[in-house]
Amino acid sequence: MDIREELARRVLLFDGGMGTMLQAAGLPAGHEPELWNLERPDAVRAVHAQYLAAGADIVTTNTFGANAVKLSGHPVEEVVTAGVTLARQAVDAHGGGFVALDLGPTGRLLRPMGDLDFEDAVSAYAPAVRAGAAARADLVLIETMSDLYEAKAAVLSAKENCDLPVFVSVTLDETGRMLTGGDLSAAVALLEGLGVDAIGLNCGLGPEQMAERFPELCALTSLPTFLQPNAGLPECVDGCTHFRVGPEDFAAAMAGLVRTGLRAAGGCCGTTPDHIRALSAACRDLPALPVTPKGRTWVSSYARTVVFGSDPVVIGERINPTGKPRLKEALRAGDMDYVLRLAIEQQEKGAQVLDVNVGLPEVDEPALLPRTVEELQAVTDLPLQIDTNHPGAMAAAMRRYNGRPLVNSVSGKAESMAAVFPLLKKYGGAAIALTLDENGIPATAEARLAIARKIIDTAAGYGIPKEDLIFDPLALTISADQSAAAVTLETVSRITRELGCRTSLGVSNVSFGLPRREAVNAAFFLLALEHGLSAAILNPSSAPMLDALRAFRALRGLDPSCQDYIAAMAGETAPVPAPPAAGLDLGAAVERGLKESAVAAARAALDRGEAPMDLIHSGLIPALDRVGAAFETGKLYLPQLLMSAEAAKAVFELLRGVLTVEGDRPAAKATVVLSTVKGDVHDIGKNIVKVLLENYGYQVVDLGKDVSPRAVTDAVVAEHAALCGLSALMTTTVGAMEETVALLRREAPWCKVMVGGAVLTADYARRMGADFYGKDAMSDVRYADGVTEAH
Amino acid sequence: MAEIDWKEARRYLGLHRPGGRVDEPLEEALRSCGAELLAAARPRAVWRHFPLTVENGTVTCAGMTIPSAHLSRHLNGCGEVYLFTATLGAETDRLLRRCAVTQVSRAVILQACAASLLENYCDECCDGLAREAAPEGLFLRPRFSPGYGDFPIAFQRPLLEALEAPRRIGLTATEAMMLTPTKSVTALVGLSPTPWCPPTGCAACGKTDCAFRKG
Repeated sequence: MDIREELARRVLLFDGGMGTMLQAAGLPAGHEPELWNLERPDAVRAVHAQYLAAGADIVTTNTFGANAVKLSGHPVEEVVTAGVTLARQAVDAHGGGFVALDLGPTGRLLRPMGDLDFEDAVSAYAPAVRAGAAARADLVLIETMSDLYEAKAAVLSAKENCDLPVFVSVTLDETGRMLTGGDLSAAVALLEGLGVDAIGLNCGLGPEQMAERFPELCALTSLPTFLQPNAGLPECVDGCTHFRVGPEDFAAAMAGLVRTGLRAAGGCCGTTPDHIRALSAACRDLPALPVTPKGRTWVSSYARTVVFGSDPVVIGERINPTGKPRLKEALRAGDMDYVLRLAIEQQEKGAQVLDVNVGLPEVDEPALLPRTVEELQAVTDLPLQIDTNHPGAMAAAMRRYNGRPLVNSVSGKAESMAAVFPLLKKYGGAAIALTLDENGIPATAEARLAIARKIIDTAAGYGIPKEDLIFDPLALTISADQSAAAVTLETVSRITRELGCRTSLGVSNVSFGLPRREAVNAAFFLLALEHGLSAAILNPSSAPMLDALRAFRALRGLDPSCQDYIAAMAGETAPVPAPPAAGLDLGAAVERGLKESAVAAARAALDRGEAPMDLIHSGLIPALDRVGAAFETGKLYLPQLLMSAEAAKAVFELLRGVLTVEGDRPAAKATVVLSTVKGDVHDIGKNIVKVLLENYGYQVVDLGKDVSPRAVTDAVVAEHAALCGLSALMTTTVGAMEETVALLRREAPWCKVMVGGAVLTADYARRMGADFYGKDAMSDVRYADGVTEAH
Repeated sequence: MAEIDWKEARRYLGLHRPGGRVDEPLEEALRSCGAELLAAARPRAVWRHFPLTVENGTVTCAGMTIPSAHLSRHLNGCGEVYLFTATLGAETDRLLRRCAVTQVSRAVILQACAASLLENYCDECCDGLAREAAPEGLFLRPRFSPGYGDFPIAFQRPLLEALEAPRRIGLTATEAMMLTPTKSVTALVGLSPTPWCPPTGCAACGKTDCAFRKG
């Protein structure tokens, strides 16, 4: 019997806590409970038997920690096979029931927050899934997930290694958040996208607190729900954890939830066979209420969901190298920080989703796109729109993405649909669907609608509902065809009304070839919104576009009390503190660390006709020298040195835009490779050094943190870097630093190596064979200058 | 919620050293970084107490057998010990990462604020434990963490596991035993029938050339 069919028919009961039962049977503190499947099989089987006798329909195997990360050093397959077999034996002896293969967290944090690679997490669950399925589990239960990214890894592993139904429950705290910041809507959006069969909550909360979260869960999900609360919140008495909610109270609370739609109930920490017996008595005969599909068009990140509906969504377009020389340069040079700054800036300007396109002929897109996605998700919680024509890059990025992605794009071409839809089915998400096909973009709305219908039908064949498609009816320029805008608007309107689907537009194409394009764009945008447009991809720094949107939302009653409009305009009209450039020259502004004033002074100087190179040589460099000297003599503190560095950096960035021809720019003094060594996740020191070196004219290749000796050496060789800087914060990672120095000596003997970090001393640095110990960032700059002058 | 100890935060930034001047832009940056951190941080802690034996330079508690002369000296005379962990959470790490990309000056200030907030939060938790222990005539020793002296850092993981810290407060250790989220603490806190006499804080530490050493 398939548990999904049973769950559709009646309310099912899970078992209760396993750990406390085993402790009561004598499991010593610090001993892995899973090993008892091999060492004390009778004790484990007896727990299952007690729960089945108490009325549980589903018993959960004693395999919570049986993954290759947490149980490393032990035979995972053997432990899991034994665990499933014990549960199966208990079920057979009882005469019925389901066996849930239990999978808990790895206990490690995934990159970029921690150091466990996403694919390693996927692999960690695979042996348990395969062994569990072979031993005849009925379903996979992924539970106590407090990190959505890890939940995604576990679900993928389950789906890729067996055909069993997958139930997933996450753990919330009393504020309704997961430990890594996700909320319930982000969890539901992601897990539904991955195609799980039921969604639940377990652990963390008691029945009372879970009851508060349950209406939200029901309102969000289109799947059957299950809850396994603790027997109350933990209370610490005499050093032991106690749970106070007794069987009757527990059962009464859960029965109340079954009456409002809960489909399966059980217990977690502190619950016993007595709790399940009471639960069974209270819930057994209650009817299973129907689950209603929600039909929502939505995307998510690990912490935030964006719904496409009546309130228009702004998709930031700036992370796309087309027509952007500065971004092209950054992507070619591997300057990820520039890309990350573009993301943060767009978020601050009001973007709700960020388009991510890194397609350039000379980059390895299938490698760069997922990496960019991962790095972006370390600094922004906005959902991302994965934008690529390369199916391999799309697959890799969707797999890595922590959330329910938006994908840009699929079209009515058979080849496109065959490439994108299997990915959308596997990883979940929504796709921007272009109303064009093998014959190009049709001239009429009717024909574009026909393509949209074809796309919807084809998607349905893959099991993808129409709400996961957001149609882009394509804006063409009116300078070539006066009817272009009208056709697009009609298509927007008819897709919304006749097909019941959401739409998105790249608005700015409409004005191509016209002067004052923003005037046309903003007017067209408003018209499209009025025709039902649900999203637009645009530059969030464009004031006319954002103003039009804000005004539209206020006029349409989408902005309660016009709060957003007023707040945005208040920012515009507030008096600027200390008017920039008021009498301050460039040098003085940099010295005082005033970024806006420094940029304004530089702009004014350029307007007066001063040459960019003169500003660098007579303004910036002398100011930086004065700042550096003041820091070295103790007159400036580190934050002040860095504020000056940032002011200078902003001016360099401005001048870089002016000096568009590369040959006109000042040449870099030298290339420096920087990294925090293998094993070390603290990178503040390295980041400080980076900013200063860049200020002083060095080309910095930043490899990030936790970088292997091999990766550092390869980068130094590839760049033929004159200098390499290594940072380590902890004594335990100094060994990795020594290894890196040794490898550099062998394979890059020309390269000078400077080291720094809290636990290092000049003496230690010398002993490990480094050329220089940097006691602070300025001393590194001075050393680098010495090295380059000697050349 | 715990507050930032500004005196400590300023000291971490080196602002206690004479010669410089904390001007208005820096004061403003300190204020706004402090507010930003307090908005992002979600301090959480978990602790549990266990019986303890200290014999021949080895400490035994909570299923761990820890060979460490320094820890043995530190816990000498204690019959019980608290295993203690605390973290400012994943959001704090994200804030630090974001600032490292946009404005390193703020990342540096936030690091100092976070370190001081975490320390203050741990002190508050331990003060509470000390108040609970006082009626029983027990005194709390200062926190002693894996990686201090000869206390092997490899004990991060069993310590975290004994408290179920990964699932209870989201605190984990990397392969190299670094704590993630990074603004986190693990420690042993001894309970003894006699007040603590040996030197604490900087005076107890062997790193005499430390830039932050007091006294």
